[in-house]
Amino acid sequence: MTDTVMAQSQEAGIVTIDQLKNDSKENNPATSIELVDNPSLRIVPPLNFCPVEKSLYRSGQPSTINHSFLKELNLKSIIWLAIEDPQDNFLKFIEDNNINFFYNLGFTGIDSNSWDGLSEASIREALEIISDKKHYPLLVCCGMGRHRTGTIIGCLRKLQGWNLASVSEEYRRFTGVRGGRILVELLIEAFDVSAIDINPETAPEWLIR
Amino acid sequence: MFSQGDQIIQQLRQYDEAKHQLRQLQSSSFSNDPEVTRQIPLAPSYTEQGENLANNGGNYTSLKILNKRPHYVPPINFAIVEDGIYRSGHPQPNNFQFLSTLKLKTIIYLGDKTDNYDYYRWIKDQEVSFKYLKMKPSVEPFMYNDENSLVSALNLIANVDNYPILIHSNKGKHRVGVFVGLMRKLLQGWCMSGIFDEYGKFAGEKGEGDLEFVEIFKPVLRIDPQKIPGFVRI
Repeated sequence: MTDTVMAQSQEAGIVTIDQLKNDSKENNPATSIELVDNPSLRIVPPLNFCPVEKSLYRSGQPSTINHSFLKELNLKSIIWLAIEDPQDNFLKFIEDNNINFFYNLGFTGIDSNSWDGLSEASIREALEIISDKKHYPLLVCCGMGRHRTGTIIGCLRKLQGWNLASVSEEYRRFTGVRGGRILVELLIEAFDVSAIDINPETAPEWLIR
Repeated sequence: MFSQGDQIIQQLRQYDEAKHQLRQLQSSSFSNDPEVTRQIPLAPSYTEQGENLANNGGNYTSLKILNKRPHYVPPINFAIVEDGIYRSGHPQPNNFQFLSTLKLKTIIYLGDKTDNYDYYRWIKDQEVSFKYLKMKPSVEPFMYNDENSLVSALNLIANVDNYPILIHSNKGKHRVGVFVGLMRKLLQGWCMSGIFDEYGKFAGEKGEGDLEFVEIFKPVLRIDPQKIPGFVRI
């Protein structure tokens, strides 16, 4: 009975879950070692840390406890989006590790406020840095890693061709219990991605799809 | 070059000016001659521009966004875990175009649904290796985290030959969250608070039982030192 059903479904071109190829590589028992303990020296990711793409990360402002974590990323550049100055220990970490530091992107004038959204010019400037692979590995961060970082990553996702619902879902994942700001989402929606030129020679490969 | 917002505002201003001129003209001349009103330059209508764009072969939407790039729809709760490892909820047919860009080699499914035939046909076409690890949904207060499935998934993750990997459950919240938590703890040595924060970003409020499991579970992994990916710290 089941055989006939199987035959019929195969004739109809239906693929069942058992028929799928499964040739993933298992570890060779001869050369494998037992991993009994998890790493005893724990590393602490910064607030709202998350990989965005290959060698591109986002986070809030790292504190001293996150420095060993950041060292593992071998960062080459950091984009700082808040208009406040970063803490001294963070600046010292940047200097000690010879990291390119892009800052003052959010600063539009003497009257700029920390609750204002990013201007279109600063978004464009940040995206131009992101679309050049000579700056990688790259960390995009602001004070809490929520709204300003979320704006830039949201516009980057739009540049990658993501649909807006998925972009908003990702943005809200990082905004905490108080939720997303509708102005940030409007900024992402209205952002004109055709203003960004992607040079296929210098852009990271995941951006050229 | 104007930004999109500037363009819209400019058009609205032109439209207002034209309307103002029209009103002045009508009040001064007492004339309702349609020939007069037709000469007043109005802002170019959206449909006119749309026709022009269509003739040029570009895409056109009513918000005037020129988007020459394809529209990708990632699966729900999609995220990058590490270079070459992706996590998500269950892929649907509208996600296939996006998933093709990832050039996956392996898909690991932690779950118990076996009737998504469109998805299986797509996997067969893509020639992706599909690892089905049965795991019941965890409904509190009974957590059914299948230890054998999780250990075999962790062993697959520790082998670079399987990369790029997509690991998904049904909603990409609890089962995948537990798996990523274990990976962060056992292979990368993250602190527990960072793991709990990451789990919470995807799972929302529920799932304390899962977090207890991630903290307590201590399996013995057998990994090949020559095949371990770069992010593993031993």
